[in-house]
Amino acid sequence: MQVAVERRPTLFFLVVLAALFLVMTASIRTTRIGETRTLFERGVMWAFSPVPRLVNWAGTNTADMYHGYLDMRRAVAQNFRLHNEVENLTRENLALRQSEGDLARMRSLLNYSEQFDMPTILARVIMLDTSGSFKSIILDQGSASGIEINDAVVNAQGLIGRVVLTTRKLSKVQIALDNNAAIGSLLERSRRQGVTRGDGTGMLRMDFVPSLTDVTPGDSVLTAGTDGLFPKGIPVGTVVKVDEGKDLFKSIRVAPAVDFSSLEDVIVLHTRKVPADVVRYQP
Amino acid sequence: VRWLRFAIGLLIALTLHSLLDKFFPNALAFFNPYLILVIYYSMGGNLVGAIFAGVAAGLVQDAFSGAIFGMHAFALTVCGYLVAYVNSRLVLRGTLAFGVSLIGSVILNEIVLYLLVNILLKQKIEMFGEGMLAKTVLTSLFGMLVYQLLLLFLREEPIEATKRPSGW
Repeated sequence: MQVAVERRPTLFFLVVLAALFLVMTASIRTTRIGETRTLFERGVMWAFSPVPRLVNWAGTNTADMYHGYLDMRRAVAQNFRLHNEVENLTRENLALRQSEGDLARMRSLLNYSEQFDMPTILARVIMLDTSGSFKSIILDQGSASGIEINDAVVNAQGLIGRVVLTTRKLSKVQIALDNNAAIGSLLERSRRQGVTRGDGTGMLRMDFVPSLTDVTPGDSVLTAGTDGLFPKGIPVGTVVKVDEGKDLFKSIRVAPAVDFSSLEDVIVLHTRKVPADVVRYQP
Repeated sequence: VRWLRFAIGLLIALTLHSLLDKFFPNALAFFNPYLILVIYYSMGGNLVGAIFAGVAAGLVQDAFSGAIFGMHAFALTVCGYLVAYVNSRLVLRGTLAFGVSLIGSVILNEIVLYLLVNILLKQKIEMFGEGMLAKTVLTSLFGMLVYQLLLLFLREEPIEATKRPSGW
């Protein structure tokens, strides 16, 4: 058989072509009668089917790995970007919260300062010393901004103190809690006047209020405007305790109106000072 | 050994076919790995071997494509036989000769397929378009590249390896 084929290859070629033609014809017929594949075709497919299956398996896994790798890289990059974004947004959020707080404070300060018919200067507290009996704060504005010694310092809550020292860029303020501070004040309800000063414990005491005066805890204490330093009507504090004192005066403890532990922005009231010659007037 | 190499070549061609189908559907319209395999084996000048190579490769191609079963086998057998016939007289060798044979074979393969479809299904398919040009160029270039790689790998004229006495 082998020799015969080798001797007549052209004949063998034609026989093979004829056979293939028959296969094709059979294939067309089976398609027409409903069969989609001949047995022979199915046999060839079955014999070689591991190859496409293997290729498909390898291709799918490789593609999955590749896409997984790409997804991972994308996720890492995205994670990095989101981290940065969160960092930026957190920073921005903090700044906005700070600004929001500042704005609210500034608004209240502005509203408060508008009631005064005198020049006002906005300043920020940069140092606070309330540890000893000498209690003071340092402001970031000084004589260059027009601040003078004895100017009153307030915020929206009430009286803070008075300027005792200025440099060009800074001012030192003696706060109302200081033992040496003395504020001419009055009780809002009874209009009785006295002098309020720090007692060294973070509270105030109001002196020189006669024993017969009607004072009860909860009464508001305002500046009286009689000391030549502080304008009238600024809240100083609230009466928390009233005792019958020695002599003719009551012993009154006052809680300060201002929370001195959270001072940030303040208003310096450029008060009109009583001229020295008026104070030392000798008739 | 010769038929073992052919079998490996056929598996590689089928692998390429599957890969192209998976990642570049319709890529076989522009590239035919089975034709490269058949022409490579036919250039040894062995007429009977070329016929068997054409039938085997063509049937595998038919089994995994949507054409009429046997159509590619028919066309590849014709190409393989003619190339083997020419080589049995002219003894063409080298990458360029292989490339030229491939160009001729791609065109012949398309003509045979066109005629078969026309005869069996009474349909006229598109021929001599851009697809055929691309198929001719890509198949020839890829075939020549494979030929060069075989030259490096076998360290001898690759076609001589297909001429050794067979035991089929």
